[in-house]
Amino acid sequence: MVDKQGEGARGQPANFAWSVPQGRRTDEWSLCVVRIAEYRDRAAFGKFFAHFAPLIKAFALSGSSLSAAHADELVQEVMLKVWQKAAGFNPEKAAASTWVYTIARNCRTDMFRRLQKFDTQLEAEDIGFELESDEPTMALHASRGAVRVRELLKDLPQDQAQILAKVYMEGKSHSETAAELGLPLGTVKSRVRLAIQKLQVFMDAGLQQ
Amino acid sequence: MITHHPHSNTLVEFSSGTLPVAHSVCVSTHLDHCSECRSKLAKLDDLGGAMLENGTAESVSSSVFDAVMLRLDEVSPEPAANDATAASLSSMVKKIRSGATADLNWRRVTKSLRIASLGDVPGASEVSVYHISEGGKIPQHNHSGTEMTLVLSGGFSDETGIYHAGDFLVREAGDIHAPTALPGGDCICLAVLESPLKFTRWHYRWLNPLLQLRAG
Repeated sequence: MVDKQGEGARGQPANFAWSVPQGRRTDEWSLCVVRIAEYRDRAAFGKFFAHFAPLIKAFALSGSSLSAAHADELVQEVMLKVWQKAAGFNPEKAAASTWVYTIARNCRTDMFRRLQKFDTQLEAEDIGFELESDEPTMALHASRGAVRVRELLKDLPQDQAQILAKVYMEGKSHSETAAELGLPLGTVKSRVRLAIQKLQVFMDAGLQQ
Repeated sequence: MITHHPHSNTLVEFSSGTLPVAHSVCVSTHLDHCSECRSKLAKLDDLGGAMLENGTAESVSSSVFDAVMLRLDEVSPEPAANDATAASLSSMVKKIRSGATADLNWRRVTKSLRIASLGDVPGASEVSVYHISEGGKIPQHNHSGTEMTLVLSGGFSDETGIYHAGDFLVREAGDIHAPTALPGGDCICLAVLESPLKFTRWHYRWLNPLLQLRAG
């Protein structure tokens, strides 16, 4: 079930978010999370679920890193965290997709560790970094970074896209990626750097690549 | 002023959740200090979000949705409180990140060097906190594997540079150095070793067994 309004927002021109004043995101998914936080709005949650649950499942299944049953379990864990942590979402700080991504990543890291029976009581959330600051660059970046990266991703050369998919979607370390693709570690590292350069990831704040 | 940062590949591994636990602790502690790397991380997380949204949606059975809806009342809307009995390592990480290292389990190695092991952590042979007294020196040693170091307070210098609180550095296998704490205060560092370091000068070699500090 794809919501019509959602289609509209995604179909906007790439620079749509640039015109949002003061970096306040008004896109549908951010509003959804805000409604979940403020009103415990189950309808908004249902809409959010319909959009993101299939994407989280794809994330879990990519590269067969998890079984279908574990992928469903991950979807449940992530969506429950969305419900639980919605109040911590700040639409001026990050795009909803970025926020959901960080939750999914942490849940997956913990699930990987559980499955490998690593004996650590340390959870990804304990280590992870929650960006919570009012640094001016943040607001500026939140309003456009995610949208632009998504546009630029389409034009990424195949060899770089493949490596980013291994790293971000399949959750493979650089060395695992190198081993699976039969490439030297240095090649993987430099393709990752080329990709983030192409995607202008560090561009607007004048950050070095 | 932070001048030594994690490499962008390291930030990518952090952002994609593929960096080992112990190394992630170093990176997140650096992030506490460094707004530049925080901005970079935010952007890399955006990349993760974009990859997620670009994925080919996989259909999710309505039973999964129903199961989640049934459980919504079970979860409290506030972030879950930490289980007080669990996670000594987790609280240790918080302590370290807040700079409170006084009650760690310190062992004196030389007059000016104390080391506290943080125990076994997957993906690293040894995670420890080093305390070098003001002006003190760590005997020259080499690394048989990569070592990641994060300066928590004070500073030190070695053959390659000067490092202050928040600075992040990586030594590769085979690098030999002899760090000296800067004047003006004790230096405390978090170090993650792939394999134990070895003192190279003969009159310090007897210390090597002392460095096998892995908590049992």
